[in-house]
Amino acid sequence: MTVATVPVAGTRTERVAGRGRDATLGVLGLLVVVGLVEALPRLGIVNDRYLPPASAMFTELAGQLGEAAFWTALGDTLRGWALGLAVAMAAGIVLGVLIGSVGILRDLTASTIEFLRPIPSVALIPLVVLLYGSRPTSALVLVVYAAFWQILVQVLYGVADVDPVVRDTARSYRFSRLAIIRTVVWPTALPYVMTGFRLAASVALILEITAELIIGVPGLGKSIGVAQSSGAVEKTYALVIVVGIIGVAVNLLARALERRTLRWHVSVRREAR
Amino acid sequence: MNRSPARTARRGLATALVLALPLALSACGGGDTDEGADGTTSITVGVIPIVDVAPIYLGVEKGFFKEEGLDVELELAQGGAAIVPAVASGQYQFGFSNTTSLLLAQTQDVPVKVVTAGVNATEDPSADMSGVLVKAGSDIKSPKDLEGKKVAVNTLKNINTTTTNELVRQDGGDPTKIEYVELAFPEIGPAVEKGDVDAGQVVEPFLTIGTQAGMTDLGSNFVAADPGLAVAEYFTSTSFAESDADTVEAFTTAMNESLDYAQAHPDEVKKILPTYTDIDESVVAELNMPQWTSEIDAESIEKLADLADQDKLFAKDPDVDALLP
Amino acid sequence: MRLLTTLAYALALPIVLVVVWWFASAGSESVFWPPLSKIVGVFGETWNADRWTGDVLPSLARLAVGYLVALVLGVLLGVLIGLHRPVRAFCEPTLEFFRAVPPPVLVPVIALFLGYTGDTSKVVTIAVGCVWPILLNTVEGVRGLDEVMLDTARCYRLSAWTRLRQVVLRGASPQIAAGARQALSIGVILMVISELFGANRGLGASIVQFQRSFAIPQMWTGIILLGILGFLLSVLFRLVEHYALAWYRGLRQADRGA
Repeated sequence: MTVATVPVAGTRTERVAGRGRDATLGVLGLLVVVGLVEALPRLGIVNDRYLPPASAMFTELAGQLGEAAFWTALGDTLRGWALGLAVAMAAGIVLGVLIGSVGILRDLTASTIEFLRPIPSVALIPLVVLLYGSRPTSALVLVVYAAFWQILVQVLYGVADVDPVVRDTARSYRFSRLAIIRTVVWPTALPYVMTGFRLAASVALILEITAELIIGVPGLGKSIGVAQSSGAVEKTYALVIVVGIIGVAVNLLARALERRTLRWHVSVRREAR
Repeated sequence: MNRSPARTARRGLATALVLALPLALSACGGGDTDEGADGTTSITVGVIPIVDVAPIYLGVEKGFFKEEGLDVELELAQGGAAIVPAVASGQYQFGFSNTTSLLLAQTQDVPVKVVTAGVNATEDPSADMSGVLVKAGSDIKSPKDLEGKKVAVNTLKNINTTTTNELVRQDGGDPTKIEYVELAFPEIGPAVEKGDVDAGQVVEPFLTIGTQAGMTDLGSNFVAADPGLAVAEYFTSTSFAESDADTVEAFTTAMNESLDYAQAHPDEVKKILPTYTDIDESVVAELNMPQWTSEIDAESIEKLADLADQDKLFAKDPDVDALLP
Repeated sequence: MRLLTTLAYALALPIVLVVVWWFASAGSESVFWPPLSKIVGVFGETWNADRWTGDVLPSLARLAVGYLVALVLGVLLGVLIGLHRPVRAFCEPTLEFFRAVPPPVLVPVIALFLGYTGDTSKVVTIAVGCVWPILLNTVEGVRGLDEVMLDTARCYRLSAWTRLRQVVLRGASPQIAAGARQALSIGVILMVISELFGANRGLGASIVQFQRSFAIPQMWTGIILLGILGFLLSVLFRLVEHYALAWYRGLRQADRGA
């Protein structure tokens, strides 16, 4: 949840130097954590059946990289995530622009959206199990439901942010409805759409992994569940690390995309809620 | 803001489209019966990766199903409870489920119909596929000591709780005082070992894994309920039973042949287990085998219905005759 | 009159949707989509006094404890980390990693230490899952504080405690609130998920139990109840936020009015 970073005072070179120092410290921080995870079980402070040394986790992780099953699971997870996110994006943007641009629709749907949005999508787990069992469709439903609201709500904020004067002007110049959406509504809504994308991307990953873990949809989540229940502790941790790295990658990707799309727009942007 | 917002917007739209690309990768298979060109019928059977379903794997390998014109695809489900809805809604044509789940389904108007037997317990309480594990040296010495204890089962309010309750009852204990918690079978042994729970009801291979690790088996809950208990059956949906009676008959014939073959050839069963489970070889050698028979034991099923009724699992009385073929 | 219009707008669609559901499902023969009338009919008997005291309330209590622990820990650590740039730089990548791990995979890891059964592992699961958004947002909020304001507060010799409360926490509170809101929805997810392993009672456990025993209308009542609770929690959150951030809204309005 970064709000536009506050510029650090000082010249450009000082800033760069500061950033370099920060990065070094950050790497150091990661190394210390890895060191701790290595030392605690080695010194017998933590039972290594519960927390194996970091080296054992990474050895297992390296071994996993050579396994076809690992890559299949990784592919399943990423595909489920991307597909769900894409469906949610498409639906969220289309419905958001539609509802947002038509006043009466906005008024009519507001209460329903406010009610449906906070419903935890895990509530749907029993239902999708009945309907689709442990097939990827189960995960898809959960991912789409969770991600959709994030995007829809952001798009609605975005469309509401359109300057009425600009819109009226466009109208008086006889812009078509589509043209107004393309030239007036969409550019204003874009930053919000990107915020929605970033929020939805991480929620979608959570739900994809949850569905795999709980329902047994093929993917990394399922592999973690299987590893844990068969007592493969190192593998459990190795896979959790992989999932964490995916999570970080998703966050970085979303943020980078957001920044790229919005370079011209930073001043306007504020975390919409 | 010198650059045209419209151009930037177009790029944003392109981004959105790229994000939507994976849509094209969508793929989800359905399982419908297809009449193949060569006259064989494709069916999907939902099973769980446990010893109990070895006969169907053997039958497929031996070609018993091919002989009946069936092309069988075996689909592994997370648990028996997931198979019933999948069969009822037609995703699978047949499934394997424990008797109590089928009875429960029937009392809730889920349209299922048994086609043939699945697996039966042994007659020997000390050499059965089911048992209740406690830690070595536990002060739980016999089933009645489970009173007031925390016992893990893989599904609450199902065959494992009703039969464990019967085991305790027969030993003179009060089963209503047991606190059951739900854990997946592989978790139960470790949870008992760690003291997370006081005891755990398991089936093979987890019983052998547990005893090999030094745990004590209090006795078989299945045998306590009924020696040779009809633990599970193969079933289909009532609508499929009516619309595709020929396929059902072919499946039943092939399945019965497989069941009898498995019962007669325990060595081949042990050989096929590693092909669909992760059971260790040292465990396979020691497994207590269940019994397989092509006869449905209606009395045994009635007994399970009574036990479930006693534990107030049913909203209304099950109709056993309607459930059986 | 305006109130009436607002009310009409707010209620129109929900009423239409319920009515459509009611009639569309009225003659439903499908086992999985029972008629709404049937679902409503069994709601009362399903969620009776015993279920409330034995399942729903314990679940909510676990959520409350786990969430509050996360809130206190997250804000405390967040302030500590956020106020010192080197500490922040040192911790941030690590924290980002932990935040990025989808919380449900914590369940098997926490089970390694605490087992699956019992309240502790469930509360810990909720707390560990909720803490990251609160912590990172607090760090972010504290980092964005006005240096001048902090210095001014120091010049005026405000005590450390007053400075912390009046300047730091206040200044960071919009960010903290945003993190707390994210954490709440994660908390509700984890409340349900933690009960799917090693549970015997609880709201999430009950719903799955209904599904397993094919009590489909009851399962639907559980889904609806969980939905209502999710909604009520978000309303409650907004109320608390409304009072806690009253000053901030006033400021923004003043900003805009100017």
